[in-house]
Amino acid sequence: MNRLVKYYWKRTMRSRLAAFGLVYIIILVIVAIFGPFFTGDPNAVNFAEKNLPPVGFSIEHSVYDIKSGEFTTVVVKGSLKHPLGTDDKGRDLLAMLVSGARVSLYVGILATGLALIIGSVIGVTSAYFGGVVDNALMRFTDIMMTFPFFLLLVLIVFIFGPSLNLIIVVIGLTGWTGTARMVRSEALSLRTREFIQALIVLGSSNKRIIFRHLIPNVLSIIIVTATISIPGVILAEAALSFIGLGDPSVASWGRILNAGQDSLDTTWWVAVEPGILLFLTVLAFNFLGDGLRDAFDPTK
Amino acid sequence: MREYILRRVIYAIFIAWGVFTLTFFLLRIGPSSPADKYLATLVAKGENVEELIAAVEARQGLDKPLYIQYLDYINSLLHGDWGWSFSTSMPVMELIKIHWKYSFQLILLSMLFAVFLGILIGVYSAVKQYTKADYIATFFSFIGISIPNFWLGIMLILVFSVKLGVFKTYYDTSLPMFSLANLKALVLPVITLGTGSMAAYTRYVRASTLENLRKDFVRTARAKGLPDRVVIGKHVLRNAMLPVVTIIMFDLSGVVFGGAYLTEIIFGIPGLGQISFNAIFADDYGVVVAVTLIGALVTLFFNLITDIAYTYLDPRIRYE
Repeated sequence: MNRLVKYYWKRTMRSRLAAFGLVYIIILVIVAIFGPFFTGDPNAVNFAEKNLPPVGFSIEHSVYDIKSGEFTTVVVKGSLKHPLGTDDKGRDLLAMLVSGARVSLYVGILATGLALIIGSVIGVTSAYFGGVVDNALMRFTDIMMTFPFFLLLVLIVFIFGPSLNLIIVVIGLTGWTGTARMVRSEALSLRTREFIQALIVLGSSNKRIIFRHLIPNVLSIIIVTATISIPGVILAEAALSFIGLGDPSVASWGRILNAGQDSLDTTWWVAVEPGILLFLTVLAFNFLGDGLRDAFDPTK
Repeated sequence: MREYILRRVIYAIFIAWGVFTLTFFLLRIGPSSPADKYLATLVAKGENVEELIAAVEARQGLDKPLYIQYLDYINSLLHGDWGWSFSTSMPVMELIKIHWKYSFQLILLSMLFAVFLGILIGVYSAVKQYTKADYIATFFSFIGISIPNFWLGIMLILVFSVKLGVFKTYYDTSLPMFSLANLKALVLPVITLGTGSMAAYTRYVRASTLENLRKDFVRTARAKGLPDRVVIGKHVLRNAMLPVVTIIMFDLSGVVFGGAYLTEIIFGIPGLGQISFNAIFADDYGVVVAVTLIGALVTLFFNLITDIAYTYLDPRIRYE
């Protein structure tokens, strides 16, 4: 392993919370990739097994008996066949949540990647050319920053129809402003730093300066930005699905939450379970991002 | 100073223009035109559609070239005419006049909740650094930052409304604006909207206070024999609040547009978020443009206030 990577790895893992975050994320990625091969079809409807609580919980159902014409209360217990229970259509929640993990990570990683690329290009271009180009790009960045991001997302997804890839593109195309500003200011300040000036005086090649010194310095910022941006993107997609504008062809956490909200008084677990996963995922990325930021901060 | 404010105001107008332009063209390049909704109702009535389309488009100016429509729109906006809302059959301005109060009270109370508790917990946590109280505060602020606010809202409804029955599941619009009952109805929405911000402020206040506690002037103040109350309350807090003001203002636009929007939908509060949400689904574009623009103007206004307030809060900052 590269000596630099090893050094930062050790510094990041010093934080127990960051290590927890990383372990959780790795498990989530493995589940998202391989999980769907082991769980059943998340869209398989089975009304015979609807509204089953998770294992260890039981609820009381009122059942109408056709023969006697009376209502009887039946206690329904969760079974190992559906460890996390089923929703009002009898779909297995475990299968839905595993499929939702795939959707969340897919959106989170791709949209963040797109935003980082756009932001870095705009930031570096702005810093490199300066003058009119810098001014125009930064004013455009200001407008995009003031633009109500979530409203825009709702608007575009409503106009062009809900599809996962459109959501990714829109988040990517609107989420780059923070990165652009940070990369620009970092690139501007790096150019004038003493160690870069010293390298020029000492006769280092441009290639060496760029690859050994400039990129590692900006890279740390990009890595931290990526880690702390991903949960925001995951939440944006979940919120969008939650208000009914998610891609209807996939079972995402936000869509399960949306369905669960309408039946809080009976099947509470449908709303609780995707939220817990969403919360833990955001928490894990925040812990890791915090650890990485401290690791890359030479004053700590 | 006056020149600086003037420059900032002009810049804010420029940004507002940019936001308006983006919204306008986004709405027009979409596949569904504002006339479509009219069309559907007219077909249902069995009228001669071809003739009426032309008439309706002419009346709304939709037959003109796009850039003329754009200029017309700006012209009427500048004359105080914000257009007509098809879905609610009233002028957009009237609609906003009815609904803005609900958003305003929700956002105001949430911000008060977040700022007050955030500063209190943040300062306490910094002063008691590395004690049990500090760890607990840090732990809960991490949870507060990470908890999705729309899920928090649902969980609050589940626990306090469905299971315990303390609050209603829906916001009761018949309650008068300034009443205790209304305040009670807003408890869950305010916690839903304010928790994330409060947790974030706690972290920033803590970091900022810690930084200032190490400064030389604090050591001087302590050496003079000033009591803790004065050292923390006067010397540390005033300096620690400077960066926090910026964070709060930056966060405000997120609260206005993201959090309030979802909170209003979850609790059925008929504020601007709710009406713009309905307007998007009804293709009622005048309302969408108006809410977007108002939100942007509010954000810009508070940014401007922050920058001006800074010159008073920190005498080292001088705008030439």
